Amino acid sequence: METAFELAPAIVLLPLAAFVVALLFGNYMPKKGALAGIVATAGSLLLSLYVMAAVATGGQHQETYFTWAAGDAVSETGVPTIEFTFGTLLDPLSALMLVIVSLIAFLVHVFSLGYMNDEGETGLPRYYAELGLFTFSMLAFVIADNLLMAFMFFELVGLCSYLLIGFWFRTESAPSAAKKAFLVTRFGDYFFLLGVVAIGATFGTLAFQGDGSFVAAAGEAIDNGETLFGFGAETWVTITGLLVLGGVIGKSAQFPLHTWLPDAMEGPTTVSALIHAATMVAAGVYLVARMFGYYALSPTALGIIAFVGGFTALFAATMGVVKDDIKQVLAYSTISQYGYMMLGLGVGGYVAGVFHLMNHAFFKALLFLGAGAVIVLMHHEQDMWKMGGLKDKAPIVYYTFLAGALALAGIVPFSGFWSKDEILFDAIIVGLNEPIFLAAYAMGLLAVFFTGFYTFRMVFLTFHGEPRSDAARDPHPVSWNIKFPLLTLGVLALVAGIANLAPVYKLTGLEITYLEFWLDGQYGGYADLTYSAYGDTVPFGTDYIGSETITLLIAAGLGLGLAVGGAVFAMVLYNVPEPEPHTENLGSARTVLRSNYYQDEYQVWLAENLTLPLARAADRFDQTVIDGVVNGVSSVSLFGSGRMKRLQTGVVTNYAALLIVGFIVLLVVLGVLGGWFV
Amino acid sequence: MTVGIEYYVLLSLALFCIGLFGVLTRRNALMFLMSVELMLNAANINLIAFAFYHGNLTGQVFALFTMALAAAEVAVGLGIILVLYRNFRDVDVTVPSEMRW
Repeated sequence: METAFELAPAIVLLPLAAFVVALLFGNYMPKKGALAGIVATAGSLLLSLYVMAAVATGGQHQETYFTWAAGDAVSETGVPTIEFTFGTLLDPLSALMLVIVSLIAFLVHVFSLGYMNDEGETGLPRYYAELGLFTFSMLAFVIADNLLMAFMFFELVGLCSYLLIGFWFRTESAPSAAKKAFLVTRFGDYFFLLGVVAIGATFGTLAFQGDGSFVAAAGEAIDNGETLFGFGAETWVTITGLLVLGGVIGKSAQFPLHTWLPDAMEGPTTVSALIHAATMVAAGVYLVARMFGYYALSPTALGIIAFVGGFTALFAATMGVVKDDIKQVLAYSTISQYGYMMLGLGVGGYVAGVFHLMNHAFFKALLFLGAGAVIVLMHHEQDMWKMGGLKDKAPIVYYTFLAGALALAGIVPFSGFWSKDEILFDAIIVGLNEPIFLAAYAMGLLAVFFTGFYTFRMVFLTFHGEPRSDAARDPHPVSWNIKFPLLTLGVLALVAGIANLAPVYKLTGLEITYLEFWLDGQYGGYADLTYSAYGDTVPFGTDYIGSETITLLIAAGLGLGLAVGGAVFAMVLYNVPEPEPHTENLGSARTVLRSNYYQDEYQVWLAENLTLPLARAADRFDQTVIDGVVNGVSSVSLFGSGRMKRLQTGVVTNYAALLIVGFIVLLVVLGVLGGWFV
Repeated sequence: MTVGIEYYVLLSLALFCIGLFGVLTRRNALMFLMSVELMLNAANINLIAFAFYHGNLTGQVFALFTMALAAAEVAVGLGIILVLYRNFRDVDVTVPSEMRW
């Protein structure tokens, strides 16, 4: 067991080695660096499974590897020192996430053989090096045992995202999309950094776990009714929590910072699958789960998380309805699904949120890889109106994509149903106790219908009906390296729900909610990072309609009914040989949706009419006032010295006179001060 | 009969003032140098007079040092004056005023 934990740093460092190898020697290797990445991620996957097994048999591990700065600044709560360290925290949550990340990274590397190598892309060593760097940063983020380390690797995954979105840097759109992604997420990360500094300055520690963690310190401060920086302890926890949430909203593409994600689809589809669906975008939600104990202290912060999540779920789902590009549909569904996770976490459903995070990673990576396969089949065509009829030409792609679609739409028994149902159930029982949350629940519930609709609109347009272009009549074949990842993820999309069949447990009493036991530390883990520990802190009560069973059945029935309703509606409209663009009947609503509610426009307007004048005013202030003072000081001394230098006449007699006058003056001064003349 | 200390001081003061006057008014570098010698010797007189007054030989020893210093100073000073003359065909100290602002 100890061996597994001692090997944990290797999980992180293997992809880093792959990055170096691919960068330096990629050009001379048979698959241009792909093999290094595959070997490294396979190694990471095996070691992650080993760590998971070690946690499952009652282990947990926290170790500091490196202290890179220590100081003796006294914090607001009176802690005399602060240390900035690199360390690992291996508990059920991070072990689970390690497996998810390394598995998806491995499958994406394999898929890249088919999507990038076989398609004759250039710049492959750069591609594989950046994938390796991303995997390294993401895994390091996952095992981080303190907030600052998490922040650093949070930034690094953002950098890799920027690099990979702009992979085809010779096109016009990719570099622009990369810049947009970088700037928008950076805007959120700015608040995250402020939050890290605030938490460090308040509690004198940034550790996630243990008695010396900021979570424990915050709980103590609230219990003692302390005043922190002029605020009540709970208000201050809310403020700092919301600052950190800024980074989460940027990274997990939540409203209003979601605008970068659809544009990020300019990158290779493999990158979209790995970074912009399954892992990096999950970093935000993972961070909320990682420091859930902190958010649990503040009902306000939780409420905001729930509402941002619920609203984003609905908002993004409606935009997904009218998109024609297969990757755009998936991008909006990703935003929407992360909204669900935030909703789940916001109502205190820690297990539900993490469960959906896991399932979503599998089925959304599957859908993106499926879309990548479709793009290969279609000779790099992404417009769904030019597809159709691919069902019979590529059955493996079709059936795996269908599995992902059923999971995304939330149709029983696919994995997405179980986790989405659990989130909505957690939302409704909290909502019945505190009616304001019913609004968040209603938004989430309504989004289920749209999800079912756009998912199956996509499936039917892509795979059903008659082929609508030459490429669709004669698709490009796909090889094993595309089919293998699809099949693996397809099976997972079908069965991953088994991990936590909470409704079955509640109906029959069978104890099969394994993920809940897992996250509750019943196999291994730290007592302060368990579901029940969080459950004690979360300030929301719950209520039922009638009994728990009836509420459960109502919630599940509503969710499933709406999902099926959306799917059937899409089937009626689009599952015909020659589908018509029905969304055009929406009229002006379609224009608004196609323009993404003018989110980009108003953000550009804000930048141009608010930020730019503000920056100009600041520039003017700098140029005139700040520089004016500096220039004034220098011109005064320049002028003064210009006058002073006239003393140097060059005539030696004058110097002698000055010498003597100076001596006499000195003598007189000393005399006066020394009292000779009294 | 012993001469009172105040006469020595007056002599030294007079000598110093003559030297000072020379330094401030003369333009000839040689006169300049001589004036400086006068001032040094005024100091010497003081040193010796007070040494005698206190019955302590240290002052006299210092006067010897000052003479050695004066000799060295004259050597350097004459060297400078020679160079001055070679460059300007003159020993007027107000002529070479290039070394200024």
